[in-house]
Parts: sequence; C-alpha cells; structure tokens
Amino acid sequence: MSDLSKIDFNSMTVAEFEQYLPELFASGGSGRLSEDPRLARFLAANPDCAALVRDLETIAETAKNLFVPDQEPSDEVWTNIEKKLKQ
Amino acid sequence: MGFQGLQTMQTKPNAGLFKRNPPIAGEAEAIERAKNGDADAFSKLYALHKRRVYTLCLRMLGNVSEAEDMTQEAFLHLFRKLGSFRGESAFSTWLHRLTVNLVLMHLRKKGLQLVSLEETINPSEEDAPKRDFGSRDTQLAGSVDRVTLERAVASLPPGYRMVFVLHDVEGFEHNEIATMLECSTGNSKSQLHKARLKLRELLRYPDQLPEAESSREVVQ
Repeated sequence: MSDLSKIDFNSMTVAEFEQYLPELFASGGSGRLSEDPRLARFLAANPDCAALVRDLETIAETAKNLFVPDQEPSDEVWTNIEKKLKQ
Repeated sequence: MGFQGLQTMQTKPNAGLFKRNPPIAGEAEAIERAKNGDADAFSKLYALHKRRVYTLCLRMLGNVSEAEDMTQEAFLHLFRKLGSFRGESAFSTWLHRLTVNLVLMHLRKKGLQLVSLEETINPSEEDAPKRDFGSRDTQLAGSVDRVTLERAVASLPPGYRMVFVLHDVEGFEHNEIATMLECSTGNSKSQLHKARLKLRELLRYPDQLPEAESSREVVQ
C-alpha cells in the first residue's frame, strides 16, 4: 500500500490518486475523505474524482444501515439446536 | 463438524463495535445463567442474537439453507464455548467473531481458498471493477437505498462480498479481517476498495440487479 506521508496531494495525477485511494479511505477513520483539506484542491480540479469519492462514501455509509438485521432463521433451526443439546 | 483449532480472535476491543453493540437488557444475566447450564437462559441468548447471526451467515454465504446450518453450528459452538467468554468485548462482537470464523472454516472445507486471497478472492477479469471508474458513466445518480444495496452486495463476487460485509457492514478493522482471512491488511484494504468500486458499477443499473436470496426470505 502507499505511504501517504510522501504524497504531494497538490501535484498528484489522477492515476496516482487512484493508486492512493484505498489507503486514503482506510486511513480516514470516521472522517469523510471528501472533506479532507489535503484533497480539497485536487478534488476541486478533478470533478470526476470528487464524484467517485462521494459515491464510495455513500456506499460505505449506506452499508452501515445493513448492520441492523431484517432476516430471521426458520423455527427449525432452534428445534435442531435443542435436539442436539439434549443428545 | 470438528472445532479443533478454531479460535475466537483475541484482538484489542474495537471501540466502533462496542458503540454498535450496546448492552442488551437482561443479556449479562442470561450469559451468566447459561454458563451454569440454564437452558432457558441459553434460549434467551438465542432469541436475542439469532437474527444478527443468521443475517451475517446469509450475507457471507448467500444461501438460505447454508446460512441456517451455520446459524445452528454457531449457537452449538457458542454453547460449548460460552464459559470462555470473559466480557472483554461486547458479547455480540465476540459471538460475531465466532460466527465469522465458523463460516470461513466452512468455506475453506468447501474448497474456497480464502487463504490465497490474491488468487481466489480476486475475481475473474469480467467480475473486477472497470478501470474507467472516474468517468461520468459510472457515477451514482444520488442516494442508495438499503434494499438496493443489499441486492448489489449479494451480486458481488464472493471474495469482494466477504471483505465488504466484514468491514463496511459488520465494522471489523482491516487488521482483524486480515487475521480472519489470513491475508495482509494491504490486501484487505485493496479488496474493500475494489468491492466498493464494483458496487458503484452495479448500483448504476439497479433494475438489472438480481433479487437477493435474503430478500426472498419472509420475516416471521
């Protein structure tokens, strides 16, 4: 993975941005990459890259909503568990 | 199924998971009673956690029958291992790690070589995200709803789906995922990024997404 400390964010190319992106997202913690001041100039100059960042943030944020379960196993699962525990 | 060698991960507690797994009323008491063999208390633990465990299995496996089998295995394993739960992490976090490890072991037995992440988690050329991901053609029109994202996740190649579910849905850190999948943290980061790029592509045309098996389930 890329060493972010060596990156010149203002002069990087789109190809370099693509290369750094996984690490940039991973190092961002709970902050939004689209609001990272280091990237402000680059994203303003590259609207497609800015749109990409926003889309990936949207996907990651919506994924958090999937954490709450909406599915339930059939009653048979507990019946089987009880049966096996009694054995 | 043998459980020799299966270990619950002992990593430093993940603050995010604690936050997302607040204590459930009556859970601590049920855990203590179940540790002493109280069947009703174990039944309560099942009732409290069956949906989360089942949903996790379903997302990782993409198959109702297998997900039910693994839910059963997870709770049987829980019954055997409950005495070793020391409360260093939220109970549900501990249970989820146990479940993930069981599912991964199941997949390895089935022949999915998760160990060799580069080879098997990396999908074929046609499944991989396209290179022109910065172009306007691939941009999302706006927000993404939960149901559509669920269908898109179900359409991901298994390796991408695994890392995406573990990180973005379940909240595991890259170092935890790397340990579970026996790969490098760099690889986990890279696979997650590719998974999100692939989802972006899939979400551009939500009408073309197949119905997820999980969404065909009727919640009882």
